[in-house]
Amino acid sequence: MDPDTVAKAFVDHYYSTFDTNRATLATLYQDTSMLTFEGQKILGSANIVAKLTTLPFQQCKHMITTVDCQPSGPSGGMLVFVSGNLQISGEQHALKFSQMFHLMPTLSSFYVLNDIFRLNYA
Amino acid sequence: MDPDTISRAFVDHYYSTFDTNRAALSTLYQDASMLTFEGEKIQGSQNIVNKLTSLPFQQCKHIITTVDCQPSGPAGGMLVFVSGTLQLPGEQHALKFSQMFHLMPTPQGSFYVFNDIFRLNYA
Repeated sequence: MDPDTVAKAFVDHYYSTFDTNRATLATLYQDTSMLTFEGQKILGSANIVAKLTTLPFQQCKHMITTVDCQPSGPSGGMLVFVSGNLQISGEQHALKFSQMFHLMPTLSSFYVLNDIFRLNYA
Repeated sequence: MDPDTISRAFVDHYYSTFDTNRAALSTLYQDASMLTFEGEKIQGSQNIVNKLTSLPFQQCKHIITTVDCQPSGPAGGMLVFVSGTLQLPGEQHALKFSQMFHLMPTPQGSFYVFNDIFRLNYA
């Protein structure tokens, strides 16, 4: 599969998992994974999922506007750069966000080594 | 120097170069470098600088709002994620943008841009 197809498939899987069953994001991170969420730095799958499952909303929906990807170097990694909207239930206006992932290959798939998330305030 | 200091210094240098002497950005890219600019894919320092120096404005100013960085793996690379606004002369409203850089170390102790992805954030 070409990189753009792989990136798009990963993005679809990541955000549908986030929006329906946030705890299972644990399968997409490892102990060395890093998340920077609105400037807060978090290390390791357990801590990352603890952060994401305790965000102050019960339900949300990510709507993706753009996905860009590039190979990240000799290790076979892939950089994925996403922008879109985040609709939180009960909120009148969607929040805009940008996020980048650095995916590293596993035997059959990818995991998220680096993850940086920022809201884009108006 | 800690990674946050390095990435902040890089960001300051990159955008001040962009805003004052765009052609000099060629020193920050190599032949293997990749830029995706608003969805358009460009490879190699020369093609990248051609693209950036032919953007439809003579002058601009980047104002940086956030800079996040993380080490990218065993090769010693660094990921830098930037958001900010881009002011073009004559335009009443600044454009919002997000950009990510993947910096790789050079033997001389500096960094070059291996990956670069730029997107405007439309309202």
